Amino acid sequence: MRRISRLRSEARLGWALVSPALGVIALIAIFPLGWTFWESLHLHELRMPWLGQPFVGLANYAEIAKDPRFWAALGHTVFFTVVSISLELLIGLFLALAMNRVFRGRGFVRAAVLVPWAIPTVVAALLWRFIFESQGGIANALLVEAGILNQPMVWFIETATAWVPVILADVWKTTPFVALLLLAGLQNIDLSLYEAAAVDGANAWWQLRHITLPLLKPAILVTLIFRTLDGFRVFDLIYVLTGGGPGTSTEPVALYTFNALLQNLRFGYGSALSVVIFAITFGLALLYVKGLGVRLGGDEA
Amino acid sequence: MRDLVSLSYLPIVLAVAVLLGACARTSNKNETVLTFSGSALGAEGTLVQKQLKRFMVLNPGIRVELQRTPDDASQRHQLYVQWLNARVGNPSILQLDVVWTPEFAAAGWVLPLSRYGPSSGDFFPATIEANTWAGKLYALPWFADVGLLYRRTDLISGEPKTLEEMVASAHGAMSRRGGPRYGIVWQGARYEGLITGFVEYLGAFGGRIIDDKGEVVVNRPEAVRALEFMRDELYGSHVAPLDVLTWHEEEARFAFQNGNAAFMRNWPYPVAAMSDTAQSKVAGKFAVSPIPKSGTAPAGHSTAALGGAQLAINAYSEHPNAAYKLIAYLTAPEQMLERAQAVGQYPTRPALYDDPRLKTAIAIPLDDARRAIESATPRPVTPIYTELSEILQIELHRALVRQAEPRDALNSAAARINTLIDRTGMRKLMSQTSRGQ
Repeated sequence: MRRISRLRSEARLGWALVSPALGVIALIAIFPLGWTFWESLHLHELRMPWLGQPFVGLANYAEIAKDPRFWAALGHTVFFTVVSISLELLIGLFLALAMNRVFRGRGFVRAAVLVPWAIPTVVAALLWRFIFESQGGIANALLVEAGILNQPMVWFIETATAWVPVILADVWKTTPFVALLLLAGLQNIDLSLYEAAAVDGANAWWQLRHITLPLLKPAILVTLIFRTLDGFRVFDLIYVLTGGGPGTSTEPVALYTFNALLQNLRFGYGSALSVVIFAITFGLALLYVKGLGVRLGGDEA
Repeated sequence: MRDLVSLSYLPIVLAVAVLLGACARTSNKNETVLTFSGSALGAEGTLVQKQLKRFMVLNPGIRVELQRTPDDASQRHQLYVQWLNARVGNPSILQLDVVWTPEFAAAGWVLPLSRYGPSSGDFFPATIEANTWAGKLYALPWFADVGLLYRRTDLISGEPKTLEEMVASAHGAMSRRGGPRYGIVWQGARYEGLITGFVEYLGAFGGRIIDDKGEVVVNRPEAVRALEFMRDELYGSHVAPLDVLTWHEEEARFAFQNGNAAFMRNWPYPVAAMSDTAQSKVAGKFAVSPIPKSGTAPAGHSTAALGGAQLAINAYSEHPNAAYKLIAYLTAPEQMLERAQAVGQYPTRPALYDDPRLKTAIAIPLDDARRAIESATPRPVTPIYTELSEILQIELHRALVRQAEPRDALNSAAARINTLIDRTGMRKLMSQTSRGQ
């Protein structure tokens, strides 16, 4: 009896102690989210006070469902995310394997490889814009010199070529981060496994497929979660590089939302867009953690 | 809900309260305190402060404080809209871009000026039209910006009378040995500058975006022809480089200033830099003229896009009468002339173009400047201009980069503008006025 009451009072004390933290979480995470959702149920155009601020239910969401620009933006976001992350994983894995070797100056190489990651995205984007801008730009000069192009081209006026600097810039900037995450995973793999495999006559390819990759899965999963969420929220890179153009053919959802919310000051519609993006990224995170996580456990068993 | 929303402006309200507090401490009770916001960087800032000081000497009961706002137009716009949604009375005088006045007027954020009896007949008609909403004048034009056609006098024999003649001479200049790389350079990136250029071609072919009855006519044959003409400069005669589809004002200026183009569409501002032999290869070798009309369109007329700044009274200001006094002072002939002399901005009063003092202030012949402003047309005068412009920017750019055919792009633009008009209840508001481009 006394024990139970002591447990209870300890529990109460526990709640009391975490309540400030819970309060902070509620204040900085749940309150803005709830407010955004509430806002998304209203017609609220800062520029058009004559419309008032009526409650419109899910009308903003219905407008999104019928908005071709939103669906196109979603498509661009998925395209950007899939292409850039695939390249980053591939190159990152290669870099991580290389950096995992024992060689002189390894520490220096590991630090040096992080330099692109340390550069602010906006600066990196401006740099790449400068490289690809205008017919007299560096990229054109190099490609013409190498005989790959017959004459300089304007990269930012065609959809296919406008994606090139965008994807290149993202891969250049983020691959080091991916490589480092994978390197951490590699270092957790017990070296004796490789020794045993080598004794059994397994070649390097077999070792990679049957030892390295399976044991690297947790690290790959973490990387995927981070990078997919980042990819879905891509904004500054594209804002600076293409502005979403030509037309709106490289516009991601985050840029479209920014445009609705802060350029056109459509608070209701913009909030609805924000809620949709939140729902998608949250759903993706759940999918990764639940879906891939379970399968991962099965593999390990 | 209302309380929640007003909370979002709390930081701004607090900031303004602090500002007001600071003012209150130093002002004496009989004084009327106005706040003026506007472009106040560099030489312009010095000029504004000088003029405000003079105004205070002439009006001892009024004190004017300068409130700094971002020089970037869209940032200033966003700030104004947030303040006005929170019903903040400062700044008492707002500097509006030429396309903002109907938006601010329809929202009830600026006061109609009719009660002060402004002499609107003394200004260029286009500048008054741009500031009129539902038959009432809401702002006085402070200075004018206008689209001009620059040409290289050493390459082009005279002012082209038609667009077709312009393209032909551009082509001729390019194909001559040692001729410039580009024939014509303009602003074709997907931003507001693209609309100003389009409005000029549109007028040249006799088209409009919205007609007098408020109908969207941007997909009529004249408009399609105008857009096809722009596209032909890029892909047909190749007088304009594809680069212009990513260019703003400055890139065009660099190309022209470095001697790489025979013609350029731009505002008046590059004249000073391009006349400076230290940085310009074309100093003394260029002239300006109004943008010509098309020789193939009977209804076409020479058209320049109108830009510039207007001054209006904040509807929440406590001292609207004093605010008008200041606006009248700053837009009076003497102050405009002084502004032209200090920073080269064009007066909005035609009478000043007969004043010999203006001749030295403006680097181009006064007659050319006046003719260009007289050919100026406001962009659509409507409260939903910003969103209308965004739709057009996207569709025009799609047509110019060949993602869509001009006719389809303009049909799509018209459909989307009509949806916008319906969504914003604009039909009712528009029927109250016979204006609107």
